[in-house]
Amino acid sequence: MSHIGHPVNRRTAIASIAGLGATLALPSRAQSGSVVIYTSNNQQAFEAVVETASKRLPGVKLWAITGGSGQLLRRLEAEASKPQGDIFWSSSANTLGAFKPLFEPYRSPEIGAIPAALHHPQNLWSASNVHVAVAMVNTRQLGGGAAPKTWADLLDPRFKGKMIIADPANSSTALTILWGVEKMLGADGLKRLANNVKVTSAAATVLRSVGQGEFAVGLTFESNAYAYVAGGQKEISLVYPSDGTFTTPEFFALLKGAPAGELAKKAFDHLLSKEAQTELLLAAFRRPARSDIDVSKHVQLPPMSSIKVFPIDEEEAAAKRGEFIKRWQALVAASGN
Amino acid sequence: MSEVSTAAAAGATGLSAPSLRWATTMRSLRTPWPWLTLALLALLVVFLLLPLVQVLIGSFSGISRDGRSGWAIVAAEPRYLHAVLNTIMLGVVVTLFALVIGVPLAWFTARFDFPGKGIVAVLPLVTIVVPEVIAAQTWLMMVGNNGLVTRALAESGIELPSFYGWTGLITVMTFTYYTYVYIGTLAAIRGFDVQLEEAAQSLGTSPAASRFKVMLPVVLPAVLASALLVFTLVVGNFAVAMVLSNRVPLLSVLTYQATVSEVGSDPALQSTLATLSVAIVMLALFAQRRIVARGRREVVQGRGAVAQRLAGWRGALLGTAAGAVVAVSLLPVASIVVGAFTQARGPVMRWGQWTTAHLERVFTRAIDPLLNTLTYAAIATAIGITLATVISVLVVKKRNAATPLLDYLTALPLALSGTVIGIGLLMTFNTGWLSLTGTGAIIVLAYVVRRLPFGTRNASSTLYNIPDSIEEASISLGVPPLRTFLRVVLPLMAPAIAAAAVLTWTTTVAELSASIIVYSGGRETMPIQIFRLIDSGLMAQASAYGLLLIAVIVLPIVLATRFARIDLFASRA
Repeated sequence: MSHIGHPVNRRTAIASIAGLGATLALPSRAQSGSVVIYTSNNQQAFEAVVETASKRLPGVKLWAITGGSGQLLRRLEAEASKPQGDIFWSSSANTLGAFKPLFEPYRSPEIGAIPAALHHPQNLWSASNVHVAVAMVNTRQLGGGAAPKTWADLLDPRFKGKMIIADPANSSTALTILWGVEKMLGADGLKRLANNVKVTSAAATVLRSVGQGEFAVGLTFESNAYAYVAGGQKEISLVYPSDGTFTTPEFFALLKGAPAGELAKKAFDHLLSKEAQTELLLAAFRRPARSDIDVSKHVQLPPMSSIKVFPIDEEEAAAKRGEFIKRWQALVAASGN
Repeated sequence: MSEVSTAAAAGATGLSAPSLRWATTMRSLRTPWPWLTLALLALLVVFLLLPLVQVLIGSFSGISRDGRSGWAIVAAEPRYLHAVLNTIMLGVVVTLFALVIGVPLAWFTARFDFPGKGIVAVLPLVTIVVPEVIAAQTWLMMVGNNGLVTRALAESGIELPSFYGWTGLITVMTFTYYTYVYIGTLAAIRGFDVQLEEAAQSLGTSPAASRFKVMLPVVLPAVLASALLVFTLVVGNFAVAMVLSNRVPLLSVLTYQATVSEVGSDPALQSTLATLSVAIVMLALFAQRRIVARGRREVVQGRGAVAQRLAGWRGALLGTAAGAVVAVSLLPVASIVVGAFTQARGPVMRWGQWTTAHLERVFTRAIDPLLNTLTYAAIATAIGITLATVISVLVVKKRNAATPLLDYLTALPLALSGTVIGIGLLMTFNTGWLSLTGTGAIIVLAYVVRRLPFGTRNASSTLYNIPDSIEEASISLGVPPLRTFLRVVLPLMAPAIAAAAVLTWTTTVAELSASIIVYSGGRETMPIQIFRLIDSGLMAQASAYGLLLIAVIVLPIVLATRFARIDLFASRA
């Protein structure tokens, strides 16, 4: 029996190695001018940033890793020894406060246009925009009942099973709203709310499921919900509760050890730029953090002066986040929803 | 050299039986086959078994952030028990519905001719053409609370029942998976020898009774095998569950959520949930084996039944019923086509107003997911098919002591959901001797592992029909064994390999549940992008990518069946 080698074996090996090699050899992002943004924002908002960046930062490619803000921050924490991301966008101070060691202080040249309240005093983070909490209502699914007007209205058992909110452990949107509700209506109010709502693990589900009519009321931020109103879906309306609603700046931060280096700072500057924030307003209805953009000139969102704001202390919320989430989870578990 | 000539040589030299066996073993060690078997076993152990073992170990050793083990969390929070029960329930119900639709459809298609039978032939395609990731959402576009059909009916005063939760999950999954039952049963009925039925009838049993008594034991294993496959797919289903299970906690969704929450930290909860899903499938596998083992019959050479012509009202009825099933199955495809060309403002669709902007956008500004998909899937298909070919030759033609293990390991991914495979790969190749996290290689690896059973099964399908005598004849004429293999066996296998390549490709480009766990920034594929767009409520853009994905899937199928005349589903008798 003669031996002519092991052609099949060799071919298999060569094919496998060549395949793996080719994949590994795809350019790494440091070479290709890429910046990776860990973002809890939806596709509309991210694309607004990408669109404007393609003009302002030619040759720089922005990539997204998406997920809930809490999820992403925990992931960044886990990756801290070998950072994979360059920028984290975004979360409220109530959530960011617990992850300070992840961020690199950076004072952007664009900072002059941002009010002091929307910027971390030691430059750990800056705001791209300001969020306003609303109840997104699908009037077709109310079953003929009146739309809620206040947060207190939402405690009514008639909304049981018709209302949806995200899990505050994953979503700073939900944390902002629930924390505010407890401050406004007390521990009993929070308990009654827990009896009424369905909790979903992802914030995006709130919008989709109210838009599609699976739920009648979604507790969320104005910006993402307004897309349905602007898109012309007649049965969707936004309720700014008249007993006062909660606002929170949407902060972003430069990550320590960002692999993209200087490019990451350029992308940071870009998020603060007038072009990016104007496009974020136009395409994703985010009220800009910059003081030099006139909201009413661009979109039909109600002016901030017409919205009653219930002030909340985000420092306190940040400090008590863990304890609050535990309490909320116990309430939800007890409600059996 | 064949066994016969070895025995003859042994007889001539007067060797005893043990030393003869020894001589045979030694001789076979001089061929490449046993070494190849060992090499492939080593690959499978490293890239498949090791990740799975890591998951199992992780479920016991992992400690979550709050200091509890995965099992402690699962035991303490009732939603995990509910999710397990819901998952089993959903698996059983969908499997039953899939049988109810798939078996009669296969029976009527095999035994009767009726008007419009041609369209039933497209069914197997539907299964692989409609990406799971988009199926649920397209159903919602039609019959969700804000769906086109729902609204149209509401205007005429008809209220559709809510599609969310159980109704939607069961409907969408049934129509996504029943074709597996159809394909499996059809092949078995066509392979069944009608003479058995005739013999039973001539012995005095009534036609209906004889059909039942004789055919059932022969067709049953195929039906049960496809039922098990459906059950497994339902348990592992992530894409449909993600969209529809807000009110019904399911294991696959909780596993994904646990994975996303635990990325980089100790994978306690995710590995526990993954272990639970493996356990559910193993239980089902065990039950199926028990039923099949009770009676096993094989038909040696089948003479398939001639299809009976049905005309008149019975033909029309059958044609209509079959047509309705096909139409419903095609609903997602139709929705994708309509959605891709419908104007949208943000998340709101403007039905009746058309545009090509979404497709233009994909090509001009968002081409990367397409390129990533093509690159990774092409590499994975090349590797997967090479492995599948070699493995099928080893398993079917070059058996040795290690063959059963190789056979078993190759089929193992069938029992694992994409999520479990993704978690295992992530846990195993995150750091250490082979760090693949953040590379494209881990996506390719996930693809290869996940689709290996499909490729191998298809590549080996014709191998059983290639008699060993052909190979032996060539060898006895003086052609060395390896050259014989390359020149004689491989060309005979070519059509099966081509079919395996096409099927591996089509199922790989649509893969979501494993790749969404292992991908990193800049490496998103089309299904991942579609998933994100759906999550952001941008259905029109998602449909545009969906349409493109379907094109990427359909094109090779058309080329293979039209021009290369490849029997993709090995279902023709």
